[in-house]
Amino acid sequence: MTSAGCSLKDKRKLPPCHAACPADVNVQGYIALLQLGRFKESVELIRKSMPFPAICGRICFSPCQDACSRKNVDNPVGIRYLKRLAADIEREQGRIKPDPIAKTHSEKVAIVGAGPAGLSAACELAKLGYPVTIFERMPEPGGMMRYGIPNFRLQKYVVANEIAYIQDLGVEIKTGAEFGKDVGIETLRNEGYKAIFIATGAQLNRELGISGEGLENVLPAVEFLRHVALGRSVDVGKRVAVIGGGNTAIDAARTSLRLGAKMVLILYRRTQKEMPALEEEVEAAVEEGVKFRFLVTPKQIIGEDGGVKAIECLRMELGESDASGRRRPVPIQGSEHMYEVDTIIPAIGQLAETSSLPPILLDERARGISADSLTLETKLPGVFSGGDIVTGPASVIEAISAGKRAAVSIDRYLNGKDLKIGRAGEIEETTWVEDWEKLTKKPERYTAPHVDKGKRQVSFEEVDELLAKTKEAAMLEARRCLECGPCTECLGKYGLCEADKAVVDEALCTGCNVCAVVCPFGAIEKNEMGVAQVDEDLCKGCGICSASCPERAIDMQHLTRSQITTQVLSALGGGPI
Amino acid sequence: MFRPKIIGFVCNWSLPIEVDLTGQNEIDGYPKINIVRVMCVGRIDPTIVLETFAKGADGVLVIGCEPPDCHYVEGNLQAEQKVKMLKKLLSRAGLEPERLRFELIHAPQIGRFAEIVSDFRNHAMMLGPSSLSGEKPDTNMLLNVEAARAVAEDFRLRVLLGREEELIESGNVYGDKLSQTEFDEVLDEVIGAEYLRNRIYLLLKKEPLSVKELSKRLDLDSPAVLRHLVVIRQRGWVTVDRVEGLSPLYTALEVGQ
Repeated sequence: MTSAGCSLKDKRKLPPCHAACPADVNVQGYIALLQLGRFKESVELIRKSMPFPAICGRICFSPCQDACSRKNVDNPVGIRYLKRLAADIEREQGRIKPDPIAKTHSEKVAIVGAGPAGLSAACELAKLGYPVTIFERMPEPGGMMRYGIPNFRLQKYVVANEIAYIQDLGVEIKTGAEFGKDVGIETLRNEGYKAIFIATGAQLNRELGISGEGLENVLPAVEFLRHVALGRSVDVGKRVAVIGGGNTAIDAARTSLRLGAKMVLILYRRTQKEMPALEEEVEAAVEEGVKFRFLVTPKQIIGEDGGVKAIECLRMELGESDASGRRRPVPIQGSEHMYEVDTIIPAIGQLAETSSLPPILLDERARGISADSLTLETKLPGVFSGGDIVTGPASVIEAISAGKRAAVSIDRYLNGKDLKIGRAGEIEETTWVEDWEKLTKKPERYTAPHVDKGKRQVSFEEVDELLAKTKEAAMLEARRCLECGPCTECLGKYGLCEADKAVVDEALCTGCNVCAVVCPFGAIEKNEMGVAQVDEDLCKGCGICSASCPERAIDMQHLTRSQITTQVLSALGGGPI
Repeated sequence: MFRPKIIGFVCNWSLPIEVDLTGQNEIDGYPKINIVRVMCVGRIDPTIVLETFAKGADGVLVIGCEPPDCHYVEGNLQAEQKVKMLKKLLSRAGLEPERLRFELIHAPQIGRFAEIVSDFRNHAMMLGPSSLSGEKPDTNMLLNVEAARAVAEDFRLRVLLGREEELIESGNVYGDKLSQTEFDEVLDEVIGAEYLRNRIYLLLKKEPLSVKELSKRLDLDSPAVLRHLVVIRQRGWVTVDRVEGLSPLYTALEVGQ
């Protein structure tokens, strides 16, 4: 049973989780491997689609989980936690060290920016056999994954480990090389790079645009988090106000607490419902003691001796819905009030640094690079761009997606192929379930541990025991998967391909309908001649119909009845073992 | 020491990764059995199990996933139903039903798996060799198991099994529902009757026999033998061979069973 024999290989019918993933990760496939306790294999399967299983297992907003069909029965499968656990087990037990991939192409590719977009593009291009060099301005690669997301959500060694995998593939990373200063499009071309991918991200803080913003203790969130990540000492004082409602705001608030702030206040101009931050992150912040003030917007920052003394705010009310579908906050006149604070951290969004970029690349408003949303081509031939620099601040998984698209484009460009043809393939979401009511409810069985609280001392034996228990819980959680998709294509490699299909011997079928009754997936129906027909999209190859068919008219394509009998005979013929 | 020959039919999703199907590596504390991996235990046709016993297995172990988990929604329950039926057939045939065991596993962890296998192996050792294993299998028992196998192939029985849930929960085409007890009664009746019919057929396949002789060999009263003979004669399985004295002797016909 190999994947080559899988009849469904080229179908684009995907389970909702896979269809929802911007990085095209075969979610159903790796969850199936987890059901078997094959942690390493499941990580390898994720890596076929993207190089950051442990990172995404921590900080992805997991559209897969939001799409999970099980939400129609009880709650979605804990896909993100499972991915994180699998990746952590793989790392702790010794990361798989891939062999460097042979450079089968001579065209050098330069990537600017070692964030998720740049690294993903490099990884994909290296897999295709291109010599790839990444130029990164910071001392370490990782981009926002390293300098934007604090340790308590994503440890640096996790990022480093996943980047090391990409380096093992043969990708070269040059740090301390700033675009527009140390390298530029011309210099790269002169050095023989045939294609360039610019993925420098959105590194600047959006300004509040109020008076007092230039005061010493006003620390823009991105900069603040970067300073902390670089290990520089930052004094936030006792009272901190963070302005904004996204993940960066929450990260800044929780970081402030860890730096010794006694009171951290998040000021957000809409209500909790409209906050773009991940729900779990908001919950964690509340648990840690971060206070929230909703429907509040800053009016001015009041200084004293060059530092911050207080922030004056206005109350807001929600008006008409805006383009994003959220109700627009409108200030209430005369509602001015003050919060006395030592530090103010604006976190109301990020902007791209465009001053160092060639003007021809920029979009009309010069807010970022203008690139085709599918091919990522810019106005300059051979120059591609993607990630936050094009889209404005978005997520890691979207950046990965952009990186992967860039790699496809660059490969096509370097081979003189059309960049567009056959790329925007239609994906059809599928599930075999017709009646959610009929399915058994299964409560969640595994959630990731809260590592931050109450660190305990455990012995090695206890760790082993704990790990076994955790693994079992994860295997059981994976078993909550409904297997919506037609076929977990991937598993062929591990001899587990489910592409086995029921085959009806139409001459023997009497149309008794028993197969249709016993099939759990509704994959069998009688045709107008009264003969059973198997829908290959729905058949998962369990063989229940074959075992039940009163005329024994159904057998399986791969594991046939006679094969089972042969196995039994050879086992018995060989005498007692 | 007696080493029982055990065949384990194990679902892909219950099989721990540590278990080596090639049988080359032994894991500590885990006695080896011959494992036939299937995607789902619901795939095990009852006839396969009976064939396995006929070929001399001392024990058959079926391992599937513990509800509510099953990769195929309810393949485990389908298997359980078939094992239940098989046990009835085995006791009809006179072969110890406990030579067949159905076990459920929570998650494919080697510890629990080894426990199940060891426990069954110990039990099989206690039971001793099957009368069908070894150099000289009991021919009468072989006929019994062959008859049981033919029952497991029976159209009526298989339709009944396939529709069990439907008959109990939504009823037949007339909307008549059966209770579980009623269903079990019908099933037992079918198993009992079909077993005897196949047993008679197999005896007649060897040599023509009278009702009296059949009654003696099957330890069954003559009217009952005659009743079944009438049915299988209508089906075209048997016919009268000749009449000896006052008794007709019956013989088996070739049927495309």
